[in-house]
Amino acid sequence: MKILVCIKQVPDMESRFKPDGAGLWFSEQDLAFRVNEYDEYAVEEAVQLREQLGDAVDLTVLSIGPDRVVEALKKVLAMGCDRAVHVQDPQAALKDPWQIAAIIAAFARDKGFELIFTGMQSQDRGSAQVGVALAEQLGIPSVTTIVAFDYADGAVTVKRELEGGIKGVVKLSAPALLTCQSGLNVPRYPTLPNIMKAKRKELLTVPVAELLHEEALATTASFHPPAKKGGGIVLEGDVAEMADQLIAILKERTTVLR
Amino acid sequence: MEVSREIYWNVGHVVVLPMYLFAFAAIAVFIWGFYRRTSTYRLGKSLNRFDHLPQRFWLVARNALVQLRVLKVRLPGSLHSLFFWGFGVLFIGTLLVMAQSDFFDLLFHIKFLQGGFYEFFSLALDLAGLVALLMLGGLLVRRFIVRPKGLETIRDDYLVHALLFAILLTGFVIEGVRMAVTEIGSNPDLARFSPVGYLFAEAFRGLSASQLESLHKVLWWVHFFLAVGFIAAIPFTKLRHIFTATANYFFSDLSPKGTLATIDLEDESAEQFGAATVSDLTWKDIFDADACTSCKRCQDRCPAWSTDKPLSPMKVVQQIGELAFSAPEANLCETVTSDVLWSCTTCRACQEICPVSIEHVNKIIEMRRNLSLMEGAFAGDEVRTAINNFEVNGNPFGLAYASRGEWAEGLDVQLMEEGADVDILYFAGCYASFDQRNQEVARSFVKICNSAGVKVGILGKQEKCCGEPARKLGNEYLYQTMAQENIETIKVYGWRVRQIVTTCPHCYNTLARDYQDLGLTIPVEHSTTFIARLLQEGRLTLTPEPFEFTYHDSCYLGRYMDIFDQPRAVLAAAGGRLSEMDKSGPESFCCGGGGGRILADETLGRRINEERVHMAEATSAPLLVSNCPFCLTMFEDGIKTAGCEERLRAGDLAEIVAARLATTSTEETGP
Repeated sequence: MKILVCIKQVPDMESRFKPDGAGLWFSEQDLAFRVNEYDEYAVEEAVQLREQLGDAVDLTVLSIGPDRVVEALKKVLAMGCDRAVHVQDPQAALKDPWQIAAIIAAFARDKGFELIFTGMQSQDRGSAQVGVALAEQLGIPSVTTIVAFDYADGAVTVKRELEGGIKGVVKLSAPALLTCQSGLNVPRYPTLPNIMKAKRKELLTVPVAELLHEEALATTASFHPPAKKGGGIVLEGDVAEMADQLIAILKERTTVLR
Repeated sequence: MEVSREIYWNVGHVVVLPMYLFAFAAIAVFIWGFYRRTSTYRLGKSLNRFDHLPQRFWLVARNALVQLRVLKVRLPGSLHSLFFWGFGVLFIGTLLVMAQSDFFDLLFHIKFLQGGFYEFFSLALDLAGLVALLMLGGLLVRRFIVRPKGLETIRDDYLVHALLFAILLTGFVIEGVRMAVTEIGSNPDLARFSPVGYLFAEAFRGLSASQLESLHKVLWWVHFFLAVGFIAAIPFTKLRHIFTATANYFFSDLSPKGTLATIDLEDESAEQFGAATVSDLTWKDIFDADACTSCKRCQDRCPAWSTDKPLSPMKVVQQIGELAFSAPEANLCETVTSDVLWSCTTCRACQEICPVSIEHVNKIIEMRRNLSLMEGAFAGDEVRTAINNFEVNGNPFGLAYASRGEWAEGLDVQLMEEGADVDILYFAGCYASFDQRNQEVARSFVKICNSAGVKVGILGKQEKCCGEPARKLGNEYLYQTMAQENIETIKVYGWRVRQIVTTCPHCYNTLARDYQDLGLTIPVEHSTTFIARLLQEGRLTLTPEPFEFTYHDSCYLGRYMDIFDQPRAVLAAAGGRLSEMDKSGPESFCCGGGGGRILADETLGRRINEERVHMAEATSAPLLVSNCPFCLTMFEDGIKTAGCEERLRAGDLAEIVAARLATTSTEETGP
């Protein structure tokens, strides 16, 4: 059985974002990158399924982006994926979700993947569309935001998160695509022997031009920080002085003490 | 009158043959008893502890013969050492008797046990026996009547006490009975040289000569069998420590304190990292368990044990021994349990005090390596998060790596990447870079350097965590990854980095010692000794301002690096009056933040930092000074949670000094 996991490398959200030169996306300068959190749940679930079914499973992980995404692929190979595909695209951030899905679909179409796991969204763009658009283009069913997963003889049973803490159970049969939500599992920390093994695993590099034949449906008009509004004030120092300052502020700027 | 005594008096030379037969049998049992243990030691991995032989023999002389390590704990140590020396003199005396009677006299008719030497010999042995008997009595009172907390008494203890008492008592009775016949009355001048024997002789005065002779014969054999029984019992009881402890001094780790084996991560054939079973440890780790005497000195000083956590360093060492001898295939980490392993702060108090030179800390780290590298386990979810943060941003807080140098804004500090010419590279470390409280320490240190005319460079956003917490938590891979990156960064600046200074003892230990294995050879110093030298050389002048304080020796400056005097000298030069805590210097009590514990929540037992804060409070000094960012963080927390904010503040040595710089305006006041 062949399984595909799609991952994205995203900037660490603690970083300070600045628009890039063209003002269409963020500048990558001074950013630290990591595997998209939701994609780690996808990887972990796929690896657990691999452990459940044994060697009959072949687990491919795919990522689109510039060369830096190889780091992310190596990490998830160490978590237990069998092979990695790097769709080389320095301009990936400028593609819309439909195009990203089209790239993956072009790769996956003739490969016979029975299950595809993706994160429910990326931490940077957050469109939550690539998974479902990919299922649409491949013509297979999909379930979003799963928080529990079970597989037995081609039958997939998942729990998905609904509003207000309510969960819904969905049954479907493979082939299918699932987008993973937090709470599904705790992604494993790669062990050192697996990190070393991962160095020898297959890593296929495919130029994006070989896979992308779709036009963008939506384009990004501008990327800019929101206009600055008044921030909070942190008072520090002597308690008595802070109390005086607070009273002064309340008097000057509010009607509380009038 | 002849000044000597007849060897084999009363029992006659007929005893010589059976005596030596039994003695050799006992020695054979002794050798066999130890030999059968060697196959278990061999389960461990190889390790060379036969280099630097003169130094090793010197350690044996100091610690076995002179008992220096045993004497570190005054009262029970003195009892043990005096007993040891007393019993040792008796043993040498017995050998002298054998040497004269059965060798020199027999073959060459040479007698040396006579005249003045015999008088000295007689008195020395008599007093040695008395000292041994009294000390054994003291040890008995301690073990069976006083019963210090945590001292576990097993079958061996009853046996050994009984055996030693019986040997010493029968010895004196035999002497007394012989003297009653041969010296009392007939040779009183000689009897004076056996005062204790004389008292025993007096007690047997009422008996007839034939009664005394029969009693002597019987007791002579009893004493003899007790003595050979003692020799035979050594490998099978706690008595084995006489030899295993002595050997352990010889096998001491001669590398700088805190040295950990740097795992070869390029070795593709390696399948096991860290210790999953006893055979993943070294033979010395197994041998250590055989040297342990259950004296519980380590346990008494363990900050985890003292705060009701499950870790006892003594029990960990003994568990390794039990598994090695009974179930070497068993899962070591499961037996010891991960709660025990994660509780260790690597404070080294156990190792520093151990009278038999057992190496506790690295065993625990080897087991942690198995948990971390083989099982991907963490001390808690908060540690998992911190480790992920290290991987992404190079600091445990998960703050943007690019903001690492921002603490230095507005200060006279050069960024190395801007090509500055500097005197020192200040490796600030994660806490001084990102933690608000510790940023004060970094700024203080820079002010001190500025005042002394020392040009300071920093790596800023190029710096990463030194890797210490990750390494102590067993994650050697992450440690080496970050260490290599730091080393490559520093090496790019070549000769421009002549010296590295840290304000963090953990960074200091790691850069100065551990990074050497990875190729960093630039001298590294902690700010405390650096400041002490600036003062000594007159490059830094302070305006002393009186203050009362207590000083906390951080584990990694004190026990690991033996830096005890310089911080006290610096603080005295700043005008400080020191009130020492009970536990200070090499006996200092950890803040709870070492061994990667700074990243972990303390969920078991009481809080170590509060324990230490209360010790500081007990000195009545209003200020607790340390010089480690982990200590400062733990104390700031502990002072709040223990509710001591009214009575105690925590400060760093650099802050105290920076507030008293001769050029500082009077408006600035430090803690």
